[in-house]
Amino acid sequence: MKLRIWPAKTKEKRATVLAGLILLQAICALFFIGDVIEDFREDGHLDNPHLLLESVAAIALVGGVIFLMIELRGLLSRVSDMQIGLDIAQGHLADIIETFFDEWGLTSAERDVAIMILKGLDNDSIAQVRKTAAGTVRAQATSIYSKSGTDGRAQFISLLIEELLADNQHLGSAEAALNAKTTNAASPDASGETT
Amino acid sequence: MAAVAQQTSGRVSAREVAVWDPLVRLIHWSLALTILLNGTFIEEESKTHEWIGYIALGLVGLRLVWALIGPKHARFSAFPPSPARAVNHLRAMLSGDKTIHLSHNPLGALMVYNIWASVIAIGITGYMMTTITFFGVDWVEEAHEVIFGWLLFSVALHVAGVAFDTWRSGVNLVRAMINGRKTIPYGREVE
Repeated sequence: MKLRIWPAKTKEKRATVLAGLILLQAICALFFIGDVIEDFREDGHLDNPHLLLESVAAIALVGGVIFLMIELRGLLSRVSDMQIGLDIAQGHLADIIETFFDEWGLTSAERDVAIMILKGLDNDSIAQVRKTAAGTVRAQATSIYSKSGTDGRAQFISLLIEELLADNQHLGSAEAALNAKTTNAASPDASGETT
Repeated sequence: MAAVAQQTSGRVSAREVAVWDPLVRLIHWSLALTILLNGTFIEEESKTHEWIGYIALGLVGLRLVWALIGPKHARFSAFPPSPARAVNHLRAMLSGDKTIHLSHNPLGALMVYNIWASVIAIGITGYMMTTITFFGVDWVEEAHEVIFGWLLFSVALHVAGVAFDTWRSGVNLVRAMINGRKTIPYGREVE
């Protein structure tokens, strides 16, 4: 997978930046609090304007730190939700592909080839990966197209896209099987939560 | 079926779970740095030593707040300070149980609290030395040094524990504290 739709990645970067800001701001807050304490120790009055201003700054910084922390937590939980959604979707897609392959009655060699076609490999590369002749792969591909009722690579790939965009009977029939898988996909997280 | 199953199981077999958020990691390494600096390079009784000490104190304070409001693996509830759990964990480990803990394991949790408490104690005794009341008082100075010795011992034990658990569970804990993810080997139970 070289091409990735990965919005979570940029969010992760944002989270790192936010964490860095929290740390820096906390150190600034620490400095001001320390300064207030030191001034107070020397002077003993809270009513001088310099000290008052410093106190306000310290409180504002602490408030800012807390606010940023809450922000960061929100961002992190959005990232983890997105990851769970992505995992489920990937599980679903694999199940849908499997359902199709079963329905078409592909042989196990054809399944291998079909997967690689879906991943965007050309016949020569597939032959290399499977260590067979290019002619064999071509024959297997032709068989896959005819079994799936498509007239070539492009239409074969678009079958899946079509399936994802429109909900039709395939999704309906696979639903029961998927539900079982979905709970599986979600369970690692759930088990983490219960402990 | 095999082809697709392989694809999916390939993803599942080495499952990566994001456990340590960036703030936890930053605080961890910053705290390690402050301990290293104040323990070795920085002149004792210098202003820098004091400030680094306060920063260490601030880092622990920040982490404690994060343990209250942060995400679930960073929270107190993910690693309660429970000797009973630690003993159970030790027993399970001896009997060959290879359950993986996403947050700190119960023994590691005790170490975490120990290190935080030590840093706080060192910070407080250090601050006391700057006050007029306790300046030059022997027991404060002694406490400051003894607890720092204890902290160094704890850190050594902590590092040994990390090495041991990495070997035992097959999850690279150092990497997890750097990139935030634990790679869970296939079919391993997760707690």
